Amino acid sequence: MSVKDKINELLEKKEAVMLGGGIDAINKQHEKGKLTARERIEQLVDEGSFIEMDVFVESGSIDFGMDKRKVPGDGVVTGYATINGRPVHIAAQDFTVIGGTLGEAHANKICKVMDMAVKMGTPFISINDSGGARIQEGINALSGYGNIFLRNTLASGVIPQISIIMGPCAGGACYSPAITDFIFMVEKTGQMYITGSQVIKAVTGEDVTLEELGGADVHNSVSGVAHFKSASETECIEAVKKLLSFLPDNNLSDVPQYDCNDDLNRITAELADILPEDANKPYDMLDIITRVVDNGDFFEVHKYFAQNIIVGFARINGRTVGIVANQPKVKAGSLDVDSSDKAARFVRFCDAFNIPIVSFTDVPAFLPGVGQEHSGIIRHGAKLLYAFAEATVPKVNVIVRKAYGGAYIAMNSKTLGADMVFAWPTAEIAVMGAEGAANIIYRKEIAEADDPIKTRQEKIEEYRSKFSNPYVAAARGFVDDVIDPADTRQRIASTLEMLRSKRESRPAKKHGNIPL
Amino acid sequence: MKKFLIKVNGNQYEVEVEEIGGYTVQPVQAQAPVQAAPAPAPAPAPASAPAPAPARTEAAAPQKVATGKIGSTKVTAPMPGTILRIEAKVGDKVTKGQVLLILEAMKMENEIVAPVDGTVASINVESGASVNAGDLLASLS
Repeated sequence: MSVKDKINELLEKKEAVMLGGGIDAINKQHEKGKLTARERIEQLVDEGSFIEMDVFVESGSIDFGMDKRKVPGDGVVTGYATINGRPVHIAAQDFTVIGGTLGEAHANKICKVMDMAVKMGTPFISINDSGGARIQEGINALSGYGNIFLRNTLASGVIPQISIIMGPCAGGACYSPAITDFIFMVEKTGQMYITGSQVIKAVTGEDVTLEELGGADVHNSVSGVAHFKSASETECIEAVKKLLSFLPDNNLSDVPQYDCNDDLNRITAELADILPEDANKPYDMLDIITRVVDNGDFFEVHKYFAQNIIVGFARINGRTVGIVANQPKVKAGSLDVDSSDKAARFVRFCDAFNIPIVSFTDVPAFLPGVGQEHSGIIRHGAKLLYAFAEATVPKVNVIVRKAYGGAYIAMNSKTLGADMVFAWPTAEIAVMGAEGAANIIYRKEIAEADDPIKTRQEKIEEYRSKFSNPYVAAARGFVDDVIDPADTRQRIASTLEMLRSKRESRPAKKHGNIPL
Repeated sequence: MKKFLIKVNGNQYEVEVEEIGGYTVQPVQAQAPVQAAPAPAPAPAPASAPAPAPARTEAAAPQKVATGKIGSTKVTAPMPGTILRIEAKVGDKVTKGQVLLILEAMKMENEIVAPVDGTVASINVESGASVNAGDLLASLS
């Protein structure tokens, strides 16, 4: 064979592999409303930037006729690319090849590209679309998963890891996304579940479709496993790109800096109008957040889960901040099991990746109830306290309205380590609400009074005027300043600028023991 | 909905009890007496007393609650509290996010909204009722 012939042979071989499982399999994928692995990568990355690796890897397995099967790339496409000019490493399972099932070689490809992502310090994106472990390869396939989970764990907090569920993600395979930082799911085609409908039916007799069991809606709103859902693959890919625009490349990088065309000193006078006159009426905390951050651009994370707390990314002065805020519209903005989990994980992600945290507090209490107690609100609420206390990134808190009791402490309070705590004049910072407090403190006076009801009302008013305001906390330095809502953006921006050089150390340890 | 098997004067009746704050008992109408109930029926003597008594209460207090048949979309209480105001009635066409009732909890007027577009099929609580987390407040069809 001449040199030219050999080169042509290479090109032909490559072309063949690029077709994955073949034209028919590709058509079948399209009919289901799904793109192929390479098509998804093409949409995700900057044009022409994807360099594929391990194209010629094949399954080494010979049992069960595997030696006779064509398994181009062993069912996964791996490589590196840029997204909006920034480097990333990608693994995308190829459903057209042997159902995208994971075999030993498949797993090795993924592990190789993950190792590269860590060495080069870039985000790692994993597109899941697989029938699961390749049964023919037995425990070699399972070990493959183990290798991947190990790397997910070791990379956690080193590089951002994003999982996109664009097909089935069944059984043990779910644990890789579960360890990663953010999970995106596509409605109707993406499902995650440990045990499928058939096994569930056989063991417990419950009848449930895969979508009902582990579809995008379920995992976004009920289980809280997934953080994003999209109606289409294209929409999903756009959301991934948007998320990446907020994140640093790795834990040693600073947050990305963009030009800011939104005046840092913009007066936010309209914030005062958002709060209702009656402190017992709800309002939408998002209205406050969007008016404070750059260009009203708030990228909400985990939007449909534990909606009594809001988390997400935004920018102030062109630099990423992580927002944590109570939502008074849902469950009165109280903290409970799910919202504590949601916020704690988000705070810890921000801390791992040098993202300053800005919180907005309007929390009446931890949600009371036997259900909450028996579900362990004690250890779940503790997660949030732990997360804020542990974080050494700049932490700024704005107490908008209510801040009572343990929930006030849990929400990024001064003694938990917040660098700057602002309060609006409408803030009510106290150990408990006036009614409850009056009942306890003035119990004797009320009981012995001629008119207990009138006395109780008087005592409630007395307590309210004395304590349900920000000045008591400000007098003790638990609040660094009481500010006009109109100055909120300005003050936050100024504080974050000042906090840019923050260095805070913690006692050396292998790692803490966060309550789980 | 709790079901009891009550023996009155030697006849057994199936009674369904639903706690709706007003604590009214709705005996299931026209239930043929059940033969030799396998379920442990409360001892006939004390049972005969409570059985007619709740029936009398039910007759005395006209049903103000549980209007309408329960629809397919259930709206439940997100937390324990008291119903402050009902803002919609059976038959109203509502849009997603529209306020159905106000639940007072945690010293706040919490808006309970329609989770989807639909028609109000039932309002299952009345103003002033105490509810627990998960209690059925209303339903849409």
